[in-house]
Amino acid sequence: MSLFDQLQDRLMRYLLSMGLSASDGEEVIQEAFLALFLHLQRGKPRHNLRGWVFQVSHNLALKQRNATLRNRQTLVEYDRMAAENFFVDEAPNPEDRMAGDERRVRLRNVWRALPEQDRRCLGLRAEGLTYREIAQVLDMSLGAVSLSLGRSLARFARADGR
Amino acid sequence: MPTPDSHLTDQDLLLAADGELPPDRAIEVTAHLSQCWLCRSHKQEMEQAIVDFIRLHRGDLDPLLPPAAGPRAILKARLAEVASGCETRANRWFPAIEWKQAAAALLLGAMFVAGYHFRPRAHLSPQISSPEPSLTPGAVAFVSREQVCKSTLTKNRAVPASVRRKVFEEYGISGAEPRAYEVDYLISPALGGADDIRNLWPQSYAATAWNAYVKDSLEDRLRELVCSGQLDLASAQRDISSDWIAAYRKYFHTDRPPAIGKSE
Repeated sequence: MSLFDQLQDRLMRYLLSMGLSASDGEEVIQEAFLALFLHLQRGKPRHNLRGWVFQVSHNLALKQRNATLRNRQTLVEYDRMAAENFFVDEAPNPEDRMAGDERRVRLRNVWRALPEQDRRCLGLRAEGLTYREIAQVLDMSLGAVSLSLGRSLARFARADGR
Repeated sequence: MPTPDSHLTDQDLLLAADGELPPDRAIEVTAHLSQCWLCRSHKQEMEQAIVDFIRLHRGDLDPLLPPAAGPRAILKARLAEVASGCETRANRWFPAIEWKQAAAALLLGAMFVAGYHFRPRAHLSPQISSPEPSLTPGAVAFVSREQVCKSTLTKNRAVPASVRRKVFEEYGISGAEPRAYEVDYLISPALGGADDIRNLWPQSYAATAWNAYVKDSLEDRLRELVCSGQLDLASAQRDISSDWIAAYRKYFHTDRPPAIGKSE
């Protein structure tokens, strides 16, 4: 349970950023930890359990996503769901502007414009995963992870005209 | 790799910031940064971008996080349930035998006693592609074609854990096996299927040709035909519930499903 306590919020943030609802995210996390229990019970490797749980959660979330897509929602609509989870107050209202929140909106727009895989890399890195773990979860090479993160951060840096 | 006089790449700076550079390269990068103001300012920009992203990420997603206590308690109960399920199978009179082996041994013994005359159960055929008609004949809700086509709720409702357990029990799936199956609706709610155990069956995750993804595409196709007026709802429900594989062949005019898998 201590691993669950450590990872629950991190996993949920990642799943929300993938476009899952909080209730679907909870179910995915439960299933992932039940799978972990069986994994350990069968005497399977105990190294890098964090990466393992993220990988299983990611795959279950994709399955959930397929379930959504099969009901004739398009990828574009799914991306919109992911964006809505992330951008709670997408449209800048006058108060935001008065509070000098335009920069935040600009950064949100950068995130929205990123390719899905780049958003996932960034989301996993933000939750503390190493490049090796990210590569494992997303089935990418280490080089591809590093390029993706570099590309995304460069876009964030440019958002301020830096 | 840059020459001593060339500047560091974004990738070098990022890998250095993340502690992901090989030790030799890390020394070179540190040495270069100590001499190069341009690369140091570039590194600072990169780190500021990380700070910006983290603030955005946490600021927007943290308010959506559900309270932790509920899911924790549920998981604890589910783990206890799984553990006790496994324990009952781990025969205490045969401590050296793993519970799975013990179950297999018991099964073989039962087959021997029955003289191999019984019909194979689901747990002997782990890759279930079709439901057992006596257990899952299909069930429909009292909805019209108009209601089905007007409904925006096309996503299958989650099956409660207690009902899932009951389905597995009926199909003779126990122990660790349930993890290998998805409890699926035979007639999907998007086609007027009911929330009824007679409409639920364990579909194997194992990659067979006739897998859940292929069935999903049939469900989509049938709904399309029903809603465009080319097929009546009752026929669609009858075809998918009597033999969904035959229905796939009929409505897709093919004997073989495309290779549809988990990878999007």
